Amino acid sequence: MKIFTIENHINGILCALYLSFTEKIIPDFVEDISTFQPRFDGAIINVNTNTANSERVKTALYKYGGSDIIYQMKICLMSKEHSALLHAFNYGYATLKYRTDISNMLSEKAVSDFSYTVQKVLHERHILTGMIRFRESINGVLYAKFSPDNDVVSLIAPHFLKRLGRTPFILHDLSRNKICISDGATIKTVFTNLPANFTPAEKESGISELWKKYYGSVNIKERKNQRLQDNFFPRRYRKYCYETWE
Amino acid sequence: MIDEKKLSILTSAAKYDVSCSSSGSKRKNTTHGLGNACFGGLCHSFTQDGRCISLLKILMSNDCIYDCKYCTSRCTNSVPRATATPDEICQLTIEFYKRNYIEGLFLSSSIFKSPNHTMEILYETVRKLRVEYHFNGYIHLKGIPGADSLLVEKAGFLVDRMSFNIELPSEKSLTLLAPQKNKQNIIAPMKMLARDKYFVLPNKRRKDFIPAGQTTQMIIGASPESDAHILKLSEYMYQNYKMKRVYFSTYTPTNFDTSLLPTTQLSLVREHRLYQADWLLRFYGFTADEITGDKGFLSEEYDPKCAWALKNLHLFPVEINRASPELLLRVPGIGVKSAYRIMHARKYAKLDFNDLKRLRVVLKRAVHFITCNGKYLGAQSQRLIEASLSGIEQIDNSKQLSIFEQNQLALSALTGEL
Repeated sequence: MKIFTIENHINGILCALYLSFTEKIIPDFVEDISTFQPRFDGAIINVNTNTANSERVKTALYKYGGSDIIYQMKICLMSKEHSALLHAFNYGYATLKYRTDISNMLSEKAVSDFSYTVQKVLHERHILTGMIRFRESINGVLYAKFSPDNDVVSLIAPHFLKRLGRTPFILHDLSRNKICISDGATIKTVFTNLPANFTPAEKESGISELWKKYYGSVNIKERKNQRLQDNFFPRRYRKYCYETWE
Repeated sequence: MIDEKKLSILTSAAKYDVSCSSSGSKRKNTTHGLGNACFGGLCHSFTQDGRCISLLKILMSNDCIYDCKYCTSRCTNSVPRATATPDEICQLTIEFYKRNYIEGLFLSSSIFKSPNHTMEILYETVRKLRVEYHFNGYIHLKGIPGADSLLVEKAGFLVDRMSFNIELPSEKSLTLLAPQKNKQNIIAPMKMLARDKYFVLPNKRRKDFIPAGQTTQMIIGASPESDAHILKLSEYMYQNYKMKRVYFSTYTPTNFDTSLLPTTQLSLVREHRLYQADWLLRFYGFTADEITGDKGFLSEEYDPKCAWALKNLHLFPVEINRASPELLLRVPGIGVKSAYRIMHARKYAKLDFNDLKRLRVVLKRAVHFITCNGKYLGAQSQRLIEASLSGIEQIDNSKQLSIFEQNQLALSALTGEL
């Protein structure tokens, strides 16, 4: 059993592909070097990240897999799934092996696993763009905290940049201590362990009360359907949706 | 800002309006504006009835001059009344939108004073929202039947979607339950919104005039029309008024003073089946006649596609690696996405059942109607297929054969005599 240990980054995957093709080694597992637990039953091969090698592979992937492939692989790496690295690697490997765009070869395991992982990340992104709740601070900045399963905060931020115009906003991913800050024109991403120093605007409590009132009054009691609500609105996302708080 | 009491009155009166999706528009934000539209639509929350909250669904007023028997806001009903001002609606929309509570506004109204007066106020509200508040989010405006067509047209240039409720599936029921409304006033604006001048291609609307198209809604269960009648009417409206969507709303009893309406809550299965059938009309190439069959009502036991397939078993099984896309779409368990995936994947390799599982085909249903490379893994008789699809446990009449089946042998075994 061969295990590649790589940096959890697109360049790590690209260098693993380079090594795999040059040394003719196909790994059974691709692991993140920072969280890797050594095992007894495998030959561990550490993949060094090298810009020149990764650029070479990137050029080949663009050539055979189309302009979207690196973006798709980056999305795959945002997944919380442990096997996401392996899926991204296998997809890149198959693209280079067949020398064509394989995105429609859905009967290939490498393709279906990869596209399923990408879909899951994009699905969470879609859900959260609706279920994030902003609160306005006294200085007019909108602040939202949430804890997504996948690392989607940087996928969500551009949606709000387009939408909110010049209004500055902060998106705080509590599970990864990752913050996306927008000044209304650009987005910056920072990592911090510090709690957010947030003072809500005076009108904030009144508006959230109105929202809770609205949420209660549009419900048709005679049609109560808890199962349907739970299917569409998973409980883990309700933590920051205060309209659902009792 | 609007107060809690007024908000509660105006939103609870609007809750029976079911059309609240925010899809179909690509409106972009402007330099000093707020908001844009997401083409696929976005849900922001879900209430306990399982319905999504996408738009701020609110009435301008519930102070109605009409007396429609099925409506909570009818003038003879004793309920608290309220009327909002355009600024109250605009401010609330902006504050909710900024906090990402909603995707936009769904504005409707009871008819207060006159249809034209009501439509003028609605128009003024959406104009303010777009021009003074620079709001570029989604707006769905409910048109007022009987209002001047010029007002309707002017509003159409500001909003993303417009709808006129057809209310009930037949003119007879409309006359009986909503005597002040008439078919002509409802149909005329629908026809107007479907005029060729608002389209750049036969099925593509101009970007500046209701880009998300028009929809309508009808109440089911309040009148005796069959599912076949409802679906044929929907089909007609899709074809002739270029509807984006026809919504169905099961009547929720709100009027106990008349014998014309049911007084108990009706089953929601019928509404569910109608929506499934409507989906088949719009995306699967079915016609209303094919779906409803002879009885005129949809089966409660099977979804409409399964029911159709069971009636047409002679067309199945189809070979997954060769079937046309039209036929694939008719296989229960294969949706539009799965059919699309199958079409692509089979160009590269012959598909088997494991591949279909990987393509997320619902094999539990599809297995009875398909073969993969000539292999069939479904049930062997129509009775077994029906039992499997309806989820009912198969009634097992088989029994273990006894070696002492014949009486003589049994007796011999008991007595030991040869």
